[in-house]
Amino acid sequence: MRGKIRVLIADDHAILRSGLRLLLEAQPDMEVVGEAGSAEEAVALEARLRPDVVLMDLTLPARPGSSSSGAAGLEAIRRIRASRPEARVLALTMHDDEGYLRAVLEAGGVGYVLKQAADTELLSAIRAASRGGTYLHPAHARVLVESLLRRGESAAKDDDYERLSPREQEVLRLLALGYTNQQVADRLCLSVKTVETYRARLTEKLGLRSRADIVRYALQRGLLEP
Amino acid sequence: MKERWNDRLRSFFRETAARIWAVIGAVSIRTKIMGIVLGLVLLLGAGVTVQVRVSMAEALGRELEERGISIARNLAARSTDLILTSDLYALHKLLRDMVVHNEDVRYAFVLDSQGRVLVHSFERGVPPDLLGVNPVSGQEHWRLQVLETEEGLIHDVAVPILAGHAGTARIGLAEHRLQAQLSATTYRLLLITFLIALAGVAGGYLLTWVLTRPVQALVEATRAIARGDLSHRAPVWAEDELGALARSFNAMVEEQDRLLETLRQREVRRGQLLEQVITAQEEERRRIARELHDQIGQALTSLLVGLRNLESDPSPARLHELKAVIADTLDGVRELALELRPSILDDLGLVPALERYIHTCVSRYHLAVDLQTVGLDGVRLPPAVETALYRIIQEALTNVVRHARARQASLLLEVRGESVVAVVEDDGCGFDAEGLMSGPPGEHSLGLHGMRERAELVGGRLTVESSPGQGTSVFVEVPLEGRREDGGAGKDTGAYCR
Repeated sequence: MRGKIRVLIADDHAILRSGLRLLLEAQPDMEVVGEAGSAEEAVALEARLRPDVVLMDLTLPARPGSSSSGAAGLEAIRRIRASRPEARVLALTMHDDEGYLRAVLEAGGVGYVLKQAADTELLSAIRAASRGGTYLHPAHARVLVESLLRRGESAAKDDDYERLSPREQEVLRLLALGYTNQQVADRLCLSVKTVETYRARLTEKLGLRSRADIVRYALQRGLLEP
Repeated sequence: MKERWNDRLRSFFRETAARIWAVIGAVSIRTKIMGIVLGLVLLLGAGVTVQVRVSMAEALGRELEERGISIARNLAARSTDLILTSDLYALHKLLRDMVVHNEDVRYAFVLDSQGRVLVHSFERGVPPDLLGVNPVSGQEHWRLQVLETEEGLIHDVAVPILAGHAGTARIGLAEHRLQAQLSATTYRLLLITFLIALAGVAGGYLLTWVLTRPVQALVEATRAIARGDLSHRAPVWAEDELGALARSFNAMVEEQDRLLETLRQREVRRGQLLEQVITAQEEERRRIARELHDQIGQALTSLLVGLRNLESDPSPARLHELKAVIADTLDGVRELALELRPSILDDLGLVPALERYIHTCVSRYHLAVDLQTVGLDGVRLPPAVETALYRIIQEALTNVVRHARARQASLLLEVRGESVVAVVEDDGCGFDAEGLMSGPPGEHSLGLHGMRERAELVGGRLTVESSPGQGTSVFVEVPLEGRREDGGAGKDTGAYCR
């Protein structure tokens, strides 16, 4: 029979901490071994107590008394992982956002739990983390997978590029560099109207819809390298 | 000792020079030039007069003496026979002829070998003291002596006749004519000098007028401009250096005028913008206050009531209800906070914040925004730049939603060289961007002008390209910190066109 899961709570709101402590202590298989109110404290306590799971608020102050910022929580996760790679940190946050989710995973967190869902979901996340797994809400998992798929997706067309005239190729490159039509016109000694015509023609030939498309295409073709 | 002397001398010179300069510097240019002209002419005139007088006196004196010698020898030669024949009448006639024909001859007389006067040209006899002077011996051809008399200098020439055996011929030459000639020449020279000086003064006056008139006009122009009359221009009198000065002065004033006008326009725009910003801020506060009071306050109140009910009648259904209210309230607070200032912008940076905002655009306004970034992976920009770009892009996308009737928009964010470029494009209805941006800020262009101001605050530039039916592109270019901001206009000057 294994012992209880030892949990460290890092959050700067005392009410939330006591609520979480109440919730966790009510579980037969969990105990709260410590509470931290700042990122600095959390890192120090973690090193001393070596808990099984750390619940880390993302927006907590770096030091006691300083104002809170999301970067401090991420930084704490990074530092804990750096000093003890086997440490398991769950991010507990208000931010339902793909950017934060990705940042937490990149920093070395093993899960991402919204404070709004801090009951059964939190408990299963702690259990999963203590067993060495990673916990993600199904909705988050879908977002991640979608973005992965998007990244892999290739808009590369077959060699339509060769069908562009040299002038069109040049216009394409400058548009991808973020130049205004006027700037492209000045550079190539053309009128703005002509540049617009070239742009319409080359986007049609390549099947591109927007400037973002143009840039993506140029990136894939390596046209932006100096 | 010697050094102290030197020092004293040096300081004396310095003080004198300073005093002279104080006097010269205090008078007007006209006086200076006239002084120079007058001084030069007078100096030249005086020098020439003195020199001419001296050399003329010398030459004339020598000529007088030579003539005297030749006349005396002539007299001696011609009187020899007359003396030997004692023809006193003829001798007298000879003497008279000679005196009459030579104006310079003041007197003439002939002495015999004993020194007695044979003939003379005096009216009342030869003055006795004249006989004693200028004795000539038989061996000499002639002898000259200058005598001082009450009639002035007399050049007395004595020539022996037949080596003194027949007597001596003497004549006296007066300097009257010579002096008269000298005086006349001096007078003419002085007259010419005076006339030239007069002409010089007139010329100097004209010259200074030509020189000082444009200068005075320029001084007048600078005074007028100092008073704030920027429409005043300095007249260009001639195509010389002063003309060039006036021209470049006018060009400078024109540039100033233009700059001031731009500044004034910008000031007006800023003022209007500030007013708008203050109004908008107040509006925002009112909205937040209402939101806090109406939505969140109400929710918390209902929670309080719900909790009280729970005390008397704990039921899982009620509990569930309360949790739902809390979740709703939480959403409201989060949304409000996000609208005010997305913390993700501070925590994770511009790109995640924009992704988040685009997500809102898609879910709330059904506007598809295609985001592409280049060179921004893992890069954090200076906070001021991030905030400015976020707000500008937010405003641009809001404009797309409100006005463009676009099917889709694209957002490009690119670190290019030493600046970051953001391009927001849509395929909507477009508008007359040039007219709107160049005119004064009106009701419809305040947002655009505000975006431009925001870009300029972080040293950047905002360009809008659009025309009706063409879609709209908003370009922002912001130089990155630590790099010199040298105009940024270099790249689109068409310097590549030949």
